[in-house]
Amino acid sequence: MPAHDLSTRWQLKQEIEDFLFREAHILDEHRLHDWLDLFTEDAEYILPLREYVEGKVEPAGHPIIKDDKDMLRIRVAKDDTGYSHVEIPVSMTCHLISNVVVDASSDPDEVIALSAFTVRQARKLRDEAWWAGRREDVLRRVDGEWKIARRLVHLDNTVLPRGIAIFF
Amino acid sequence: MKNIDEVLSGVDWEQGLVSPEIHFDEDVYRAESDKVFNKAWLVVGHEDMVPKINDYVTNYMGDVPVVVTRDGRGDVHVLVNRCSHRGNQVCLFDRGNAKGFTCSYHGWSFGLDGQLNGVPMEQALYHGKLDKSALGLETVPKVANFHGLLFASFDPDAPSLESWLGEDVSWWLKNFVLAAPLGGLEMLPGWHRYRSPGNWKLVSENFIGDDYHVFSATHISWLAVMQEFVSKGMDAPMATYPANAQSVYEGAIGGAENAPFGMGMVTVGSDDLFQRDLSEAKTLGTDAVEWIHHRKQRLDEISKDLEGAPYSFMNGGLFPNLGLMGFFSPMIGRQFLMFHPRGAIEHEVWQWNMVEREAPQVVKDLAIQRAHQGQHMAGIVAPDDVENFERMVEAGKPTRNWERPFHYGLQMGQEDEGPAGLHGTMGPNPSEFNQRRFYRFWLQMMERK
Repeated sequence: MPAHDLSTRWQLKQEIEDFLFREAHILDEHRLHDWLDLFTEDAEYILPLREYVEGKVEPAGHPIIKDDKDMLRIRVAKDDTGYSHVEIPVSMTCHLISNVVVDASSDPDEVIALSAFTVRQARKLRDEAWWAGRREDVLRRVDGEWKIARRLVHLDNTVLPRGIAIFF
Repeated sequence: MKNIDEVLSGVDWEQGLVSPEIHFDEDVYRAESDKVFNKAWLVVGHEDMVPKINDYVTNYMGDVPVVVTRDGRGDVHVLVNRCSHRGNQVCLFDRGNAKGFTCSYHGWSFGLDGQLNGVPMEQALYHGKLDKSALGLETVPKVANFHGLLFASFDPDAPSLESWLGEDVSWWLKNFVLAAPLGGLEMLPGWHRYRSPGNWKLVSENFIGDDYHVFSATHISWLAVMQEFVSKGMDAPMATYPANAQSVYEGAIGGAENAPFGMGMVTVGSDDLFQRDLSEAKTLGTDAVEWIHHRKQRLDEISKDLEGAPYSFMNGGLFPNLGLMGFFSPMIGRQFLMFHPRGAIEHEVWQWNMVEREAPQVVKDLAIQRAHQGQHMAGIVAPDDVENFERMVEAGKPTRNWERPFHYGLQMGQEDEGPAGLHGTMGPNPSEFNQRRFYRFWLQMMERK
């Protein structure tokens, strides 16, 4: 592989990691409107639950989240009402993102980014949940900036430890 | 420590006062496992979860793990998931298709009818003395199929499901919940499950009739967001709340003799929600419009001998631990929720979703999507309920806080002030009548010797 390609790829990986790490900070700082801006208008955000089917891990039917951007807006708007009890007081989250791998897509403006996450959600210093899993993102360069065009979240749960009102 | 009789004397359902002790005390929880969960008819799933020969799906009856199977002859069994040899679980997965289960400890193998078929080195080690016919998996003695909904009871002397439900509950379950006259329901695959704080009774009685919480506090963020998005002309997926609350009643069905069944909000004598379904159907094409008209006609037919035609329902529950969501509209999927006890102060929700079988695909697609956006573990409704249960548990754990009873006094004395001449009793909504009936029946089961 020519050195030029290697350095381009390295730079791309750095760019994508930087994007994903900054996104994690935005979520943990609870800047949800800034987070919405990271998605393209045609974005999809999908989170299937899992089941054990004859020993294999399979998606448990319809994803428990299958949002377009408007549905993501609805979730954020719900918290904005000030009456979204599940986020009163707001959860403290820490998103740890790692194992980032970036591959080319058939679309020259897009890349496929795999990552792993651990998220600790703490509420009122006693009720906490640990979430772990992997993400498959399609990231698109729009006007020189990366945006999330599709996110598929593989959460490692067959039974959720609590209801989901945070983002991964 | 109080004895159980003393605890039960704190359940004064007639006055709408219920001792919190029955939601927190581990001794009550153990007594209840025997008196309620070992005696009642419990929903264990739907026949469409095991459509083919050798299909199986796991579930719980109370806190007992069971497997629902369809054996080689096509018969449905409910088996306790526990090896007859040393008590190991034999079925390890959520669902699948297999000829049988082999225990991972010593290798005893069982058919889907529960029969013990194979024992490793049987002749050499047991010398022909092992009575295999007596060592099958424990088969739950009573199993019944109610228009596809599978029920089971651990009690060999349980009354028939028919008499457990009674005529009125059967009418609503068959016609409204399972939509039998409309062509029935179609299964969407997959268990959706989550843990939640709180005694199973708190969530069961919420579904059987607590609609006060919906608009008074718990779900006002949902209602506000719907209003905001609708006013902006955006697609608000869960916009299903009736604009005209005048025609919404609490249906109280079954009760003293039969398992209480509550329809949290039933619409009777108003065309509002039909008109809304119709106007939405018009945006989806002629198939959808024709189907909405067709099902309205069928609903009117099945109600022709009654004094009013119910159109839809929001939520419901059947004693002891089945919850239902109808969302007022066939444009949203129907949800079935089981509240499995997990100790006195925790439960697990096992949920499956269905859509009306005869609906055009364009409606099904919409209904499936919406079912997951509302009363669902990652939706914009259910997580707020879970938060309340968490707070109730935190405030309710100290034993000194058990002295002051929970209050269920809503619409006391106004219970039957709804339209007459339907199956069961129609009362004003919201009400806590169905909760009072829930605790009456629970108390009867607990006091049964």
